[in-house]
Amino acid sequence: MTVLRYREAVKAAMVEEMERDSRVFLIGEEVGHYQGAYKVSEGMLERFGERRVIDTPITESGFSGVSIGAAMVGLRPIVEFMTFNFSAVAFDQILNNAAKLRQMSGGQLTVPIVFRAPNGSAKQVGSQHSHAMEHFYAHIPGLKVLAPATPADAKGLLKTAIRDDNPVLFMESETLYNIKGEVSDDPELLVPMGLASVVREGKDVTIVAWSRLVHAALDAAKVLAAEGIEAEVIDVRSLRPLDEETIIKSVQKTHRAVVTGEGWPYGGVGAEIADRIQRLAFDDLDAPVLRAMTLDFPMPYNAKLEQHVIPGAARILEKVRAVTYQR
Amino acid sequence: MAKVLEMPKLSPTMEEGQISVWHKKEGDAVGVDDLLAEVETDKATMEYRSFDKGTLLKILSPAGAVVKLGQPVAILGNPGEDISALGGGQRPPPTPPGLSGAAPVAEPAAPAAAPAAPPVAAPPAPVVAPPAPVATAAAPVAAPPAPVAAAPTPSPTGRVKASPYVRKLARDRDLSLAGVAGSGPNGRIIARDLDGLVAAPATSAAPSAPAAKAPVAPAGLEAPEVRPLSMMRKAIARRLTESKQTVPHFYLTIDIDADPLHHLREQINADLASAAPAGQPAAKVSFNDLLTKACAIALVRVPECNAQFTADAILVHRRVDISVAVAVAEGLVTPVVRDADTKGVLEIAAEVRDLAGRAKAKKLKPEEMANGTFSISNLGMYGIDSFAAVINPPEGAILAVGQVRREPVVKGEAVVPGRRLAMTLSCDHRVVDGAVGATFLRALRQLCEHPTQILLGG
Repeated sequence: MTVLRYREAVKAAMVEEMERDSRVFLIGEEVGHYQGAYKVSEGMLERFGERRVIDTPITESGFSGVSIGAAMVGLRPIVEFMTFNFSAVAFDQILNNAAKLRQMSGGQLTVPIVFRAPNGSAKQVGSQHSHAMEHFYAHIPGLKVLAPATPADAKGLLKTAIRDDNPVLFMESETLYNIKGEVSDDPELLVPMGLASVVREGKDVTIVAWSRLVHAALDAAKVLAAEGIEAEVIDVRSLRPLDEETIIKSVQKTHRAVVTGEGWPYGGVGAEIADRIQRLAFDDLDAPVLRAMTLDFPMPYNAKLEQHVIPGAARILEKVRAVTYQR
Repeated sequence: MAKVLEMPKLSPTMEEGQISVWHKKEGDAVGVDDLLAEVETDKATMEYRSFDKGTLLKILSPAGAVVKLGQPVAILGNPGEDISALGGGQRPPPTPPGLSGAAPVAEPAAPAAAPAAPPVAAPPAPVVAPPAPVATAAAPVAAPPAPVAAAPTPSPTGRVKASPYVRKLARDRDLSLAGVAGSGPNGRIIARDLDGLVAAPATSAAPSAPAAKAPVAPAGLEAPEVRPLSMMRKAIARRLTESKQTVPHFYLTIDIDADPLHHLREQINADLASAAPAGQPAAKVSFNDLLTKACAIALVRVPECNAQFTADAILVHRRVDISVAVAVAEGLVTPVVRDADTKGVLEIAAEVRDLAGRAKAKKLKPEEMANGTFSISNLGMYGIDSFAAVINPPEGAILAVGQVRREPVVKGEAVVPGRRLAMTLSCDHRVVDGAVGATFLRALRQLCEHPTQILLGG
């Protein structure tokens, strides 16, 4: 085990997989000479050379399309967007080519590609650069969407994503890049997709979270524990495929659920999880499933308003108190 | 869309508030930060200002009402909006404070002064206790005052609102949810409302049920028959334990000359028998009916015994509602004869007969067993000479009545055959001091030994 920062864990996964499989390459804006916009790919150009660490022009639609084509004919690209906000420019490529070609070709083609980038809000990056894009992509059959919260899961899940024969969207977070955690050095230790992790056990309420909100949920759980409420915190890690079994088992124990993540409440992954819970654990619910999401506004630039709009421990606490009928 | 305005938390320790005055009336436009009402909390009178704008469509809790945190007080929305789904259609039936329809056993909800029953299995709910003691601050009045939010609010369809988990528990345990007071939003029955009514593994899903049935007999000895606790048995256990643990009881006993009462009763029943139409059963009057009326008159004379303790004040009731303990198959219930001081003995007799009959048939409504102000328990028919009863919270006293004893008594200078009756008053010393209890018993003795006063209504 080594203690790594999240960004180092992401790099470790890429390096190990590129060492293991010569078909894997990294492509994106500033991934090479600039060492990555967030220094995730630091040193990789030097290590693998310009044929496998490829700097592109500012043309997300172009390099996404090129990479999807490369995947169709046998390579295994890792596409880095500077942030997931800019994947919107490449949305048509991802929606209509990456997600569809396996099905439309009757299985003759596969698209083994990973799109990865920081996702969600950062600090005052403005309305157009603060999107939680997982909701858009998790909507689409044919795509897989991962959103790890810890360095260990970032490494283990990215390796799984690179080895998967289907397109995977891998959601990192600018606000998580610096967090540290123990990470396995074993190049064959993979974290499977579709498996949630119970990061804190409790009996009174289930908090289902992903990415940054896992940490906020754990903070909230500490406050609740002091009040005598034991929250179970589930890091879903994999938004599609979704590990409903772990979630349902927990709700059958606690009878109450709060779902929290970044992104607007209308539709989205939180709504999907709430639907599964009400459908599969209906008889076990003692309260409606509530969500602690981003408020339904374009992100304000003003720092205080921004903090008001994005979800955090305070909003989780508010929802937990509601589902446990506290006031 | 219309929204329900709830009682806000206006002080850090507040658990309920009393609306002192509404500053908006139904139909008024409300702006953000407008003063809606003033609320008396445990600390002070606070301003309740609006977070939203709209029109005040309905006031659910009028001035004077005591409302628990989070319970609805009003509905805000657009003029003309349909608010029937929010409870704005028709007012729930008028309900005195505290009449939260408790358990089917149905003494009134928890005593205001007693600590809230700790949630047994539900997640920690330190703030909102299940069958809410609502009555604390509101002065009890004879006429049922405005609806109180914590009372179960039957939906217009009469449907019981309960969480899916509660419904599952009810199915699994064969419980009836009718009459269970819901402490959730809009009276929803939530898991903790079943605390004390259901067996242990209620909300902690850990299937550790067998642990509860652990060893029932020492090894080598025959095991006893295990009789699961009924809801009524659990409620009796909980409430009477709570009474004995939190209410400082003391006891005063009198032994009265029961001859006059006996003769009056004989005469009344003989008259009723001869007056009854042929073939019809005659009405009858029991000792207990006469004593109920006598107590009602005595309570009017000594209102300090018709009172209850709360943390803030002693509530001296302006109504005389006498709970009459009735033994039923599973335990006992205490139906209430309302306004017994204003009713005639025959009326009381008929009412007690009806209540007791329906109690044994389990047909009593929760509100018929809640909110008494004084209790009578009579074991005379079982041959008991005298005993002391446990106070039925939040009432301040209970009278335990024994049997009429035939025995030699001294009259003048002679020993003659006579009749005696012993009665013991259990008093909550926080409300009723010794001298006050004695004054009440003196009044009661005087009435019973000159019982035509009972018929004259005091």
